[in-house]
Amino acid sequence: MTLWFIRGLRRGVVTTRYPARPDASARFLPTPPAFRSRALTRETAGRLAAICPSGALRLEDRTLVYDVGRCTACGRCAAEAPAAVRSSGEFELAAAARSELIKKIPIRGDLR
Amino acid sequence: MTAEELRETIARQFGRSLHIRTLDTGSCAVCEQEIRLLAAPHYDLQRLGFFFTPAPRHADLLLVTGPMIRAFEVAARKTYDAMPGPKVVVATGACALGGVYPADPFTHGTVDAVLPVDVWIPGCPPSPLALLQGLGVAVGRLAEKVRDLPFTVDDDPERTRGDS
Repeated sequence: MTLWFIRGLRRGVVTTRYPARPDASARFLPTPPAFRSRALTRETAGRLAAICPSGALRLEDRTLVYDVGRCTACGRCAAEAPAAVRSSGEFELAAAARSELIKKIPIRGDLR
Repeated sequence: MTAEELRETIARQFGRSLHIRTLDTGSCAVCEQEIRLLAAPHYDLQRLGFFFTPAPRHADLLLVTGPMIRAFEVAARKTYDAMPGPKVVVATGACALGGVYPADPFTHGTVDAVLPVDVWIPGCPPSPLALLQGLGVAVGRLAEKVRDLPFTVDDDPERTRGDS
Protein backbone atom coordinates (compact mmCIF):
# COMPACT_ATOMS: atom_id res chain seq x y z
CA MET A 1 0.00 0.00 0.00
CA THR A 2 2.78 2.45 0.95
CA LEU A 3 4.80 1.51 -2.13
CA TRP A 4 1.79 2.06 -4.32
CA PHE A 5 1.08 5.44 -2.74
CA ILE A 6 4.63 6.77 -3.08
CA ARG A 7 4.93 5.58 -6.67
CA GLY A 8 1.54 7.07 -7.48
CA LEU A 9 2.62 10.44 -6.13
CA ARG A 10 5.88 10.27 -8.09
CA ARG A 11 4.38 9.27 -11.42
CA GLY A 12 0.99 10.90 -11.15
CA VAL A 13 -0.75 7.59 -11.90
CA VAL A 14 -1.49 4.82 -9.42
CA THR A 15 -2.01 1.87 -11.72
CA THR A 16 0.06 0.17 -14.41
CA ARG A 17 -0.67 -2.37 -17.11
CA TYR A 18 -0.57 -6.12 -16.59
CA PRO A 19 2.26 -7.44 -16.86
CA ALA A 20 4.74 -4.76 -17.78
CA ARG A 21 7.25 -7.45 -18.90
CA PRO A 22 7.28 -11.27 -18.89
CA ASP A 23 7.83 -12.68 -15.42
CA ALA A 24 11.18 -14.44 -15.02
CA SER A 25 9.77 -16.96 -12.52
CA ALA A 26 7.07 -18.17 -14.92
CA ARG A 27 9.26 -20.87 -16.47
CA PHE A 28 9.80 -22.56 -13.10
CA LEU A 29 6.10 -23.09 -12.49
CA PRO A 30 4.64 -26.57 -12.78
CA THR A 31 2.10 -26.32 -15.58
CA PRO A 32 -0.72 -28.58 -16.78
CA PRO A 33 0.20 -31.22 -19.37
CA ALA A 34 -0.16 -30.97 -23.13
CA PHE A 35 -0.74 -34.20 -25.03
CA ARG A 36 0.82 -35.42 -28.27
CA SER A 37 -2.26 -36.86 -29.89
CA ARG A 38 -0.27 -38.92 -32.41
CA ALA A 39 1.74 -40.61 -29.65
CA LEU A 40 -1.40 -41.26 -27.62
CA THR A 41 -2.92 -44.71 -28.01
CA ARG A 42 -6.14 -45.89 -26.39
CA GLU A 43 -4.10 -48.12 -24.13
CA THR A 44 -1.87 -45.20 -23.00
CA ALA A 45 -4.86 -42.91 -22.55
CA GLY A 46 -6.60 -45.51 -20.39
CA ARG A 47 -3.48 -45.88 -18.26
CA LEU A 48 -3.22 -42.09 -17.83
CA ALA A 49 -6.91 -41.82 -16.87
CA ALA A 50 -6.36 -44.57 -14.30
CA ILE A 51 -3.36 -42.96 -12.61
CA CYS A 52 -4.65 -39.35 -12.59
CA PRO A 53 -5.14 -38.68 -8.86
CA SER A 54 -7.60 -35.83 -9.29
CA GLY A 55 -9.81 -37.41 -11.93
CA ALA A 56 -8.92 -34.76 -14.52
CA LEU A 57 -8.52 -37.35 -17.29
CA ARG A 58 -11.37 -39.50 -18.56
CA LEU A 59 -11.32 -41.85 -21.50
CA GLU A 60 -14.18 -41.56 -23.93
CA ASP A 61 -14.57 -43.42 -27.18
CA ARG A 62 -11.94 -41.78 -29.38
CA THR A 63 -10.98 -38.89 -27.15
CA LEU A 64 -9.26 -38.28 -23.86
CA VAL A 65 -11.36 -35.74 -21.94
CA TYR A 66 -9.07 -33.45 -19.98
CA ASP A 67 -10.56 -31.18 -17.31
CA VAL A 68 -7.96 -28.43 -16.80
CA GLY A 69 -9.87 -27.16 -13.76
CA ARG A 70 -9.39 -30.42 -11.89
CA CYS A 71 -5.73 -30.82 -12.85
CA THR A 72 -3.21 -30.21 -10.09
CA ALA A 73 -0.20 -30.30 -12.48
CA CYS A 74 1.31 -33.12 -10.41
CA GLY A 75 3.17 -34.49 -13.45
CA ARG A 76 2.25 -38.16 -12.94
CA CYS A 77 0.90 -38.46 -16.49
CA ALA A 78 4.13 -36.99 -17.90
CA ALA A 79 6.18 -39.46 -15.81
CA GLU A 80 3.98 -42.38 -16.94
CA ALA A 81 4.10 -41.62 -20.67
CA PRO A 82 6.89 -39.11 -21.44
CA ALA A 83 6.52 -39.69 -25.18
CA ALA A 84 2.87 -38.64 -25.20
CA VAL A 85 2.71 -36.01 -22.46
CA ARG A 86 4.77 -32.95 -21.72
CA SER A 87 4.36 -29.78 -19.73
CA SER A 88 2.29 -27.21 -21.63
CA GLY A 89 3.97 -24.13 -20.11
CA GLU A 90 0.57 -22.43 -19.84
CA PHE A 91 -0.48 -20.93 -16.54
CA GLU A 92 -2.85 -18.10 -17.47
CA LEU A 93 -5.87 -20.38 -17.38
CA ALA A 94 -8.70 -18.33 -15.88
CA ALA A 95 -12.06 -18.99 -17.56
CA ALA A 96 -15.43 -17.26 -17.39
CA ALA A 97 -17.26 -20.53 -18.09
CA ARG A 98 -16.50 -23.89 -16.53
CA SER A 99 -17.00 -25.68 -19.87
CA GLU A 100 -14.05 -23.79 -21.39
CA LEU A 101 -11.72 -25.72 -19.10
CA ILE A 102 -12.80 -29.11 -20.42
CA LYS A 103 -10.64 -30.12 -23.37
CA LYS A 104 -11.12 -33.00 -25.75
CA ILE A 105 -7.77 -34.56 -26.70
CA PRO A 106 -8.03 -36.67 -29.88
CA ILE A 107 -6.37 -40.10 -29.66
CA ARG A 108 -4.50 -40.60 -32.94
CA GLY A 109 -1.82 -43.09 -31.88
CA ASP A 110 -3.79 -46.13 -33.07
CA LEU A 111 -4.35 -44.73 -36.56
CA ARG A 112 -0.84 -45.40 -37.82
CA MET B 1 -29.69 -8.09 -16.38
CA THR B 2 -27.64 -9.49 -19.23
CA ALA B 3 -23.98 -10.33 -18.91
CA GLU B 4 -23.07 -7.40 -21.16
CA GLU B 5 -25.03 -4.92 -19.02
CA LEU B 6 -23.45 -6.37 -15.90
CA ARG B 7 -20.00 -5.97 -17.39
CA GLU B 8 -20.71 -2.33 -18.23
CA THR B 9 -22.09 -1.71 -14.74
CA ILE B 10 -18.98 -3.21 -13.18
CA ALA B 11 -16.73 -1.12 -15.40
CA ARG B 12 -18.67 2.05 -14.59
CA GLN B 13 -19.10 1.52 -10.84
CA PHE B 14 -15.74 -0.04 -10.03
CA GLY B 15 -13.69 2.16 -12.33
CA ARG B 16 -10.14 0.95 -12.12
CA SER B 17 -10.27 0.04 -8.43
CA LEU B 18 -11.69 -3.06 -6.80
CA HIS B 19 -11.73 -4.53 -3.30
CA ILE B 20 -11.20 -8.24 -2.74
CA ARG B 21 -12.43 -10.38 0.15
CA THR B 22 -10.83 -13.81 0.39
CA LEU B 23 -12.86 -16.75 1.68
CA ASP B 24 -11.27 -20.03 2.76
CA THR B 25 -13.82 -22.84 2.57
CA GLY B 26 -11.51 -25.60 3.75
CA SER B 27 -8.39 -25.20 1.66
CA CYS B 28 -4.94 -26.42 2.71
CA ALA B 29 -3.77 -22.75 2.88
CA VAL B 30 -1.36 -22.95 -0.06
CA CYS B 31 -3.85 -20.99 -2.20
CA GLU B 32 -3.85 -18.41 0.61
CA GLN B 33 -0.06 -18.26 0.52
CA GLU B 34 -0.17 -17.47 -3.19
CA ILE B 35 -2.92 -14.88 -2.63
CA ARG B 36 -0.82 -13.22 0.07
CA LEU B 37 2.12 -13.12 -2.36
CA LEU B 38 0.00 -10.92 -4.64
CA ALA B 39 0.39 -8.07 -2.18
CA ALA B 40 4.18 -8.52 -1.94
CA PRO B 41 6.40 -6.03 -3.81
CA HIS B 42 7.24 -8.49 -6.58
CA TYR B 43 3.64 -8.91 -7.79
CA ASP B 44 2.33 -5.72 -6.20
CA LEU B 45 -1.41 -6.14 -6.68
CA GLN B 46 -2.14 -2.53 -5.80
CA ARG B 47 -0.48 -1.27 -8.98
CA LEU B 48 -3.40 -2.80 -10.90
CA GLY B 49 -6.00 -1.13 -8.68
CA PHE B 50 -6.91 -4.21 -6.60
CA PHE B 51 -7.03 -4.05 -2.80
CA PHE B 52 -7.72 -6.60 -0.07
CA THR B 53 -10.41 -5.81 2.45
CA PRO B 54 -11.12 -7.73 5.66
CA ALA B 55 -14.91 -7.23 5.49
CA PRO B 56 -17.32 -8.61 2.89
CA ARG B 57 -19.45 -5.46 3.21
CA HIS B 58 -16.63 -3.49 1.59
CA ALA B 59 -15.82 -6.09 -1.04
CA ASP B 60 -16.60 -6.15 -4.75
CA LEU B 61 -14.98 -9.49 -5.47
CA LEU B 62 -15.09 -12.70 -3.45
CA LEU B 63 -12.01 -14.86 -3.95
CA VAL B 64 -13.03 -18.34 -2.79
CA THR B 65 -10.56 -21.15 -2.11
CA GLY B 66 -11.13 -24.70 -0.91
CA PRO B 67 -13.67 -27.44 -1.68
CA MET B 68 -16.60 -25.77 0.19
CA ILE B 69 -16.93 -27.97 3.25
CA ARG B 70 -20.55 -28.39 4.31
CA ALA B 71 -19.88 -26.91 7.76
CA PHE B 72 -18.92 -23.65 6.04
CA GLU B 73 -21.91 -23.42 3.72
CA VAL B 74 -23.95 -21.04 5.93
CA ALA B 75 -20.97 -18.74 6.45
CA ALA B 76 -20.25 -18.69 2.71
CA ARG B 77 -23.86 -17.77 1.89
CA LYS B 78 -23.87 -15.06 4.57
CA THR B 79 -20.60 -13.63 3.22
CA TYR B 80 -22.03 -13.54 -0.30
CA ASP B 81 -25.27 -11.93 0.89
CA ALA B 82 -23.36 -9.31 2.89
CA MET B 83 -21.53 -8.06 -0.19
CA PRO B 84 -23.04 -5.08 -1.99
CA GLY B 85 -23.91 -5.58 -5.67
CA PRO B 86 -22.66 -5.79 -8.32
CA LYS B 87 -20.38 -8.53 -7.07
CA VAL B 88 -18.08 -11.08 -8.64
CA VAL B 89 -17.26 -14.55 -7.29
CA VAL B 90 -13.97 -16.15 -8.32
CA ALA B 91 -13.35 -19.84 -7.56
CA THR B 92 -9.64 -20.40 -7.01
CA GLY B 93 -7.62 -23.58 -7.15
CA ALA B 94 -8.25 -27.20 -8.07
CA CYS B 95 -10.21 -27.85 -4.81
CA ALA B 96 -12.72 -25.12 -5.60
CA LEU B 97 -13.09 -26.47 -9.14
CA GLY B 98 -13.81 -30.04 -8.06
CA GLY B 99 -10.45 -31.67 -8.65
CA VAL B 100 -9.37 -32.79 -5.21
CA TYR B 101 -12.35 -33.68 -3.01
CA PRO B 102 -15.46 -35.52 -4.19
CA ALA B 103 -18.93 -34.44 -3.06
CA ASP B 104 -19.51 -36.42 0.12
CA PRO B 105 -21.14 -35.91 3.56
CA PHE B 106 -18.33 -33.51 4.51
CA THR B 107 -17.72 -31.36 1.44
CA HIS B 108 -19.68 -30.11 -1.53
CA GLY B 109 -16.54 -30.70 -3.60
CA THR B 110 -16.97 -27.54 -5.69
CA VAL B 111 -17.63 -23.91 -4.89
CA ASP B 112 -20.33 -23.51 -7.53
CA ALA B 113 -22.53 -25.98 -5.61
CA VAL B 114 -23.19 -23.11 -3.18
CA LEU B 115 -22.19 -19.77 -4.75
CA PRO B 116 -22.76 -18.46 -8.29
CA VAL B 117 -19.20 -18.51 -9.65
CA ASP B 118 -18.26 -16.02 -12.39
CA VAL B 119 -14.61 -16.90 -13.03
CA TRP B 120 -12.71 -20.14 -12.48
CA ILE B 121 -8.93 -20.09 -11.87
CA PRO B 122 -7.34 -23.57 -12.16
CA GLY B 123 -4.05 -24.53 -10.53
CA CYS B 124 -2.84 -26.35 -7.45
CA PRO B 125 -2.10 -23.77 -6.27
CA PRO B 126 -2.66 -21.11 -8.94
CA SER B 127 0.53 -19.05 -9.05
CA PRO B 128 0.29 -15.33 -8.29
CA LEU B 129 0.61 -14.69 -12.03
CA ALA B 130 -2.33 -16.98 -12.73
CA LEU B 131 -4.33 -15.22 -10.00
CA LEU B 132 -3.52 -11.82 -11.48
CA GLN B 133 -4.70 -12.96 -14.88
CA GLY B 134 -7.85 -14.41 -13.29
CA LEU B 135 -8.61 -11.13 -11.55
CA GLY B 136 -8.08 -9.34 -14.87
CA VAL B 137 -10.54 -11.69 -16.54
CA ALA B 138 -13.01 -11.20 -13.67
CA VAL B 139 -13.19 -7.44 -14.22
CA GLY B 140 -13.09 -7.71 -18.00
CA ARG B 141 -9.67 -6.10 -18.40
CA LEU B 142 -7.91 -9.19 -19.76
CA ALA B 143 -9.03 -11.65 -22.39
CA GLU B 144 -9.36 -15.32 -21.58
CA LYS B 145 -6.65 -17.43 -23.12
CA VAL B 146 -7.72 -20.92 -22.10
CA ARG B 147 -10.68 -21.10 -24.53
CA ASP B 148 -8.29 -21.30 -27.47
CA LEU B 149 -5.70 -23.60 -25.88
CA PRO B 150 -6.11 -27.15 -27.23
CA PHE B 151 -3.61 -28.83 -24.83
CA THR B 152 -2.74 -30.98 -27.83
CA VAL B 153 0.62 -30.84 -29.58
CA ASP B 154 1.23 -32.57 -32.85
CA ASP B 155 4.95 -32.31 -33.39
CA ASP B 156 7.13 -35.35 -33.97
CA PRO B 157 7.52 -37.23 -30.67
CA GLU B 158 10.86 -38.74 -31.78
CA ARG B 159 12.45 -35.38 -32.52
CA THR B 160 11.38 -33.54 -29.39
CA ARG B 161 11.48 -36.34 -26.84
CA GLY B 162 14.45 -34.89 -25.02
CA ASP B 163 12.90 -31.54 -24.17
CA SER B 164 10.07 -32.62 -21.88
